[in-house]
Amino acid sequence: MSASSPSNLKKIGHFLGNLEQWVLVLLLGFLAAFAVTQIILRNFLSVGLVWGDDLLRHGVLWISLLGATRATLERKHIRIDLLPRILPARLGLIADSVCCFISLFVCVLLAWASWNFVQGERLAGDIAFASIPYWWLEIIFPISFGLMAFRFCLNCISGLVRKPKGVEK
Amino acid sequence: MNIVLTLFLMVAAISGAPLFVVISAVALLWFYFMGIDLSIVIIEMYRLASNPLLIALLFFAFAGYILAESGAGKRLVKLSTAIFGCVRGGLAVVALLSCAFFTALTGASGITIVALGGLLLPALLEDRYPEDFSLGLLTSSGSLGLLFPPSLPMIIYGVVAGVSIPQLFLAGLIPGILLVVLLAIYSMYKGVRGECRIISFNSRELLDTTRETIWEILLPVVVFGGIYSGFLAVSEAAVVTVMYVLAVALLINRDVKFSQMPTIVVKTVVMVGSIIIILGAALAFNSLLIDQQVPSKILLWIQGHVESKFLFLLILNIFLLLVGCVLDVYSALVIVAPLIVPIAQSYDINLLHLGIIFLTNLQIGYSTPPIGMNLFIASLRFEKSVLRLGAASLPFLGILLVALLIITFVPGLSLLLVR
Repeated sequence: MSASSPSNLKKIGHFLGNLEQWVLVLLLGFLAAFAVTQIILRNFLSVGLVWGDDLLRHGVLWISLLGATRATLERKHIRIDLLPRILPARLGLIADSVCCFISLFVCVLLAWASWNFVQGERLAGDIAFASIPYWWLEIIFPISFGLMAFRFCLNCISGLVRKPKGVEK
Repeated sequence: MNIVLTLFLMVAAISGAPLFVVISAVALLWFYFMGIDLSIVIIEMYRLASNPLLIALLFFAFAGYILAESGAGKRLVKLSTAIFGCVRGGLAVVALLSCAFFTALTGASGITIVALGGLLLPALLEDRYPEDFSLGLLTSSGSLGLLFPPSLPMIIYGVVAGVSIPQLFLAGLIPGILLVVLLAIYSMYKGVRGECRIISFNSRELLDTTRETIWEILLPVVVFGGIYSGFLAVSEAAVVTVMYVLAVALLINRDVKFSQMPTIVVKTVVMVGSIIIILGAALAFNSLLIDQQVPSKILLWIQGHVESKFLFLLILNIFLLLVGCVLDVYSALVIVAPLIVPIAQSYDINLLHLGIIFLTNLQIGYSTPPIGMNLFIASLRFEKSVLRLGAASLPFLGILLVALLIITFVPGLSLLLVR
């Protein structure tokens, strides 16, 4: 029973990983194509979409937050791993697990804070551009912090599963 | 209570917790104890969406990763060998130049050692350069080119300090060339003394390699021509770079396949995401510091103790070298630069010059223990211990320090092209 639930979690994680890759490719491709169109419109036809820059900047925000989410999966966040390098392996693993739980906790807090933020913006109902309300653009905060929390949770579990083996050695 | 927790978080930071987590945690904690709604952290992070320079960061990084996957690195090495291979010590210069150019093109993202190291190390050893010299050279040149456009740390400094990116790019040119020239002089001296092998000059070879590399050579011309003629904004120039590099790699040279794009996109996005999330957390953290008037308190304290500009610059360099030893270049910029900028302004230091001082210091930090990124990347790539690489890099670090002093105390080097 306890073995099946982590493996189900892993399946969900795998599915999310593939989906995410395609979302990232499409999003970056769209942004590049849109930016080129803007340049051509502005420089050669002297017209431009007024909200084009706003859209691009939000696109970069989306890509960055999704990229940070991906970095959680690939464990590529920028970090200073000084202690694990000098500590004995066993203590290093413990430090790793503690960091994992802190990250999980902080991401849950950030997801919660951003959920409140988006709720507030939804009630305010301001429109960003082209009848798109701001909170649609900001919804990426709770989504990505939520996903990061989910992934740190997976990392914590795999860390706990891995630990007894490391100690046995 | 919050001091204890903050200390606990500092321990977590050196234990390997992601830096954005640590910075966000400190901000969340202090805002919580001040009784402010935690959404403030997200509101501050949301300021990321108001900065057009992050568009430039994303697209320059993308272009860099495409170039890294293509044969551009190999072609650059071939071309510079054709030019400098005939001089004694020339191959070391080849290594320096190709590393600098490649680092600049790929935005100083730390992939130079991976991409070029495996190519250059055997070549250097074959031509009888001492092993420690070669290892030190390649390790420390992994970040050479940080001062050349369009380096990503430069863009981040521009974002944080609020200076013009085109001007910052210009300011970096002469100091960047100074670093390369000083290292080249030392390397040639070693090459001549070690009686390293040379190859004979072949004009046919030079012509062929130039023809092969022509698209990479033209890239800076196209992009910076676009920026300095006023035709393109920096973020637009970044998009044009991506299109240019894509066209060359997919259609002309055909050394990148379309099927590789998803991997390249994910690599780009992971790097950009991990930088920008730290920037976002730092925005929240900095608003907290400003709310607590920390920058003005530091400013008052320093002004009370340090009178001359000269002394301030000296202390600044020592401080930044220490920061560079423990923090990576992006975190160092987003956390430290907002504190230093107002202080430097009060000492009448030009912010462009300050940026160049910052970046030169952090570049040196790339190769210093305990957590210099170059040392770890090179250790993986060359399968040598970090300790040995650190020792091998020492002479090069010495030269970089001399260059740093010159750059710091001769502001004209940074400001000549800007005026």
